[in-house]
Amino acid sequence: MSDEADRVRDEFLSESQEIVEALSRDLLLLDHGQKHGHADPDLVNSVFRGVHTLKGIAGMFNYRELSEVANVLEDLLDHVRLGRVTLEQRSLDVLFEGVEVLQRLLGAVRGESHQVDVASFRHAAHDLLGTGSPPTPDALEAYDLDPSLLGVLTEYEEHRLRTNAEQRVPLYRARVRFALSSIDTDLDGLKARLKPVAEIITYLPSVEGSGDDAIELEILLASSTPLAELRLLVGDAPIDVVPLRKGGSQTMPPPPSRPEAGPIVREEAPRPITAPLDLEKRGGEGVEGIALRAVAKTVRVDITKLDHLMNVIGELGIVRSAVGRIVDRLGARAELRQLASELQRIHRSFERHLEALQDGVLDVRMVPLGQTFDRLARAMRQAAREDTKEVRLSVTGGETEVDKLIVEELIDPLLHLIRNAVGHGIERREERVASGKDPVGIIALNAYQKGSNVVIEIEDDGAGIDAERVLARAISRGLVDASSANELDEHAIRQFVFLPGFSTTDVVTELSGRGVGLDVVRTNIARLGGVIDLQSAPGIGTKFTLTLPITLAILSALVMRVGEQTFAIPLTVVQEALFLDPDGVSLIDGREMISLRGTSLPVVRLQELFRTAPSSTARQYVVVTSLGQRRLGLVVDALEGQQDIVTKPLGPSLAGVRGFAGATDLGDQRVVLVLDAPALLDEVLSSEARFLAAPEPARGGYA
Amino acid sequence: MTATHPLPLVGAPAEVALATSPRTAVARAVREDGATQELLAFEVDDAKMALPLGAVKEILKVAPITAVPRAPRAVLGILSVRGHITTIVSLRATLGLAPLDALPRSARILLVDRGVEVVGVLVDAVTEVLRLTPAEIEAADVVGAGLAEHVRGIGRPAGTSDVVVLLDPIALLRPLDATRRGG
Repeated sequence: MSDEADRVRDEFLSESQEIVEALSRDLLLLDHGQKHGHADPDLVNSVFRGVHTLKGIAGMFNYRELSEVANVLEDLLDHVRLGRVTLEQRSLDVLFEGVEVLQRLLGAVRGESHQVDVASFRHAAHDLLGTGSPPTPDALEAYDLDPSLLGVLTEYEEHRLRTNAEQRVPLYRARVRFALSSIDTDLDGLKARLKPVAEIITYLPSVEGSGDDAIELEILLASSTPLAELRLLVGDAPIDVVPLRKGGSQTMPPPPSRPEAGPIVREEAPRPITAPLDLEKRGGEGVEGIALRAVAKTVRVDITKLDHLMNVIGELGIVRSAVGRIVDRLGARAELRQLASELQRIHRSFERHLEALQDGVLDVRMVPLGQTFDRLARAMRQAAREDTKEVRLSVTGGETEVDKLIVEELIDPLLHLIRNAVGHGIERREERVASGKDPVGIIALNAYQKGSNVVIEIEDDGAGIDAERVLARAISRGLVDASSANELDEHAIRQFVFLPGFSTTDVVTELSGRGVGLDVVRTNIARLGGVIDLQSAPGIGTKFTLTLPITLAILSALVMRVGEQTFAIPLTVVQEALFLDPDGVSLIDGREMISLRGTSLPVVRLQELFRTAPSSTARQYVVVTSLGQRRLGLVVDALEGQQDIVTKPLGPSLAGVRGFAGATDLGDQRVVLVLDAPALLDEVLSSEARFLAAPEPARGGYA
Repeated sequence: MTATHPLPLVGAPAEVALATSPRTAVARAVREDGATQELLAFEVDDAKMALPLGAVKEILKVAPITAVPRAPRAVLGILSVRGHITTIVSLRATLGLAPLDALPRSARILLVDRGVEVVGVLVDAVTEVLRLTPAEIEAADVVGAGLAEHVRGIGRPAGTSDVVVLLDPIALLRPLDATRRGG
């Protein structure tokens, strides 16, 4: 496939993905609304429009199956919109299934999967469309409505009018005058004010009241709010609200013809408006115009372009430090001191702007976790249905922002944890009732920023993890020997669930806790420079805590020297650094260990591991790295300090070299390798499970 | 008929850009039997060798190279070329020759496009750009068996007694792919 075709496909995928995410978000809101007795018709419309757009672009790019599924879904939504299909759990299920199928089809376009079963959704949708009930006797007849008005309503508007009439929501007719020059913003403002208390069924330009610089709209409203309050709400617009009366002859008072009483047009239109108000922009379609305007304010940017910008900024940083050195040299010469201080000022200002530029680019990479949480909510709903469990999701901190790349990589681990929480954490209804819990389980997703890290918690109020069973399993799998197990506390024992080989499929049903592939989750999180921790109390629940760097683009690193060579290591994995006491090193089972506050810490000399030139330093340091419960001390010759670095990948030629996450430019032409701490820990500790679970009293406590 | 050009060399880390689209240029140079070929000639261990000019993107002076522990033997290390981490290989090591005790001042790094990436290839010295007509080139299959896979042929510029080994960049650097896991 050519680059151009790739680019087009990527663009299609990213746009479609956004639509599908919005769809599932709206569906979840609808689901929530439906359960609480009020499904917002605007949401149905929003879903309908999203599916319509998706159908359009899928057709345009010739993804036939995608376009067909979108078409079926659109039909279904149209029926829901018009009240021919009732919005209830059954129809919602079909809608969710439809969105899921769309998601899978997008996956297929991406090449992630091959076979997508479309048939079952089609059948479900078909069945649903067949059950549509005919509209009930016309409640509208009770109202005295101008037939000419009914004639111009769209089918949807008429349906909304009818629904409101059936539900005995009072109907109103209002006339509002708008200045042509500001009608867009004024109308939006009015809509926003009315939205909480009333439903705008339609607005039509009225025939009489419109002039050259003003237009009068007739608005059909449904609202349970008293008339006086409604009038107050729409107060600052010249408006008149009249209830539509039942039966009686209903006459509209003449439009308020009072050009002298308060300027309707506050100022002259800055330029003549030649085009009349676009009549097609009324009702549901009008929103598309607004959506278009909103879209115009955002641009979609390929993340590699941002990487490129970061690269350039990195280069500028190198230029900056070179200029800094010149300033120093100039300052050393008395006759040039004046020049040096001027240059110094410019240099500082350059530095400030460069920092601002860097922050700006980093900021662009940030996306709120909310989108991810929406996807998780959908997955949770599905998992709960499959397992026939009742679970409620509580989300906080959806606005917390994380680097786009991290978000992408987070989805799989989080999905895994959510499915685990539903499958193995939350108990069945009967069990919950028997143990005096709320029959509906709760899974909480919390995110918040903590320094330069983001913390994500996945907490359930389920059965918890039984430490004794975990230990028994770990012993039977040979992950720990029974004698050393005595020294472990429960928290340390529970960390065994993260070990590769702890769980295999046969464990899943047997163990009341979790275990499926948690080692994979831990590895993925570690790859992002993050840490995962687990706390659990039997009978009360389980909490997974993920701590991640906010961005991968720039991270704080410890720069250290081994012999002649310099390395950097991300600070997220560095627990502490200390002097190496040569007498404190003991050899246990062929491995060097030191004692750190009463616990044994395996250490490895990087000079030996990397076979670099031997060093001559008398004093050495131990950099204590930790990933979850696994710790390893790296023996180095010198600590050069902390620095923000941009890690860049090594080329394909070096892809097979283990132990390095990439390299970074420290300025002054120095390229240093960035250590891949998770890989090093795996390499050194992998076959040595007995070192894995050194309990750590220093950190203490588990909730 | 041979034309030689002196090559401008600029101080480190400045470089000389040679071709904008190396891949197509390589393809053209390889495919166009019967036409004149442009080659960049250089010295390694007193032998004269050449790569298609289109495959060489830039010529760099030698800058401090960061060694990569556990890398394949031919890899000298990495270098940042305008922000891109670039792997530098030694042509001597690639060809199984002994390394030099000290790098000569004439040593240069050629940025060579090997398809999957651009790598730096350290040579003892860059000599000239050669234009060879088909008559001046003996193709590898004509020369006969025994030639390594990365030798495309032998160049004998008319009017000189030079023998130039014409290298195939892709085949020459292919061993870099064979070093997955642990190297």
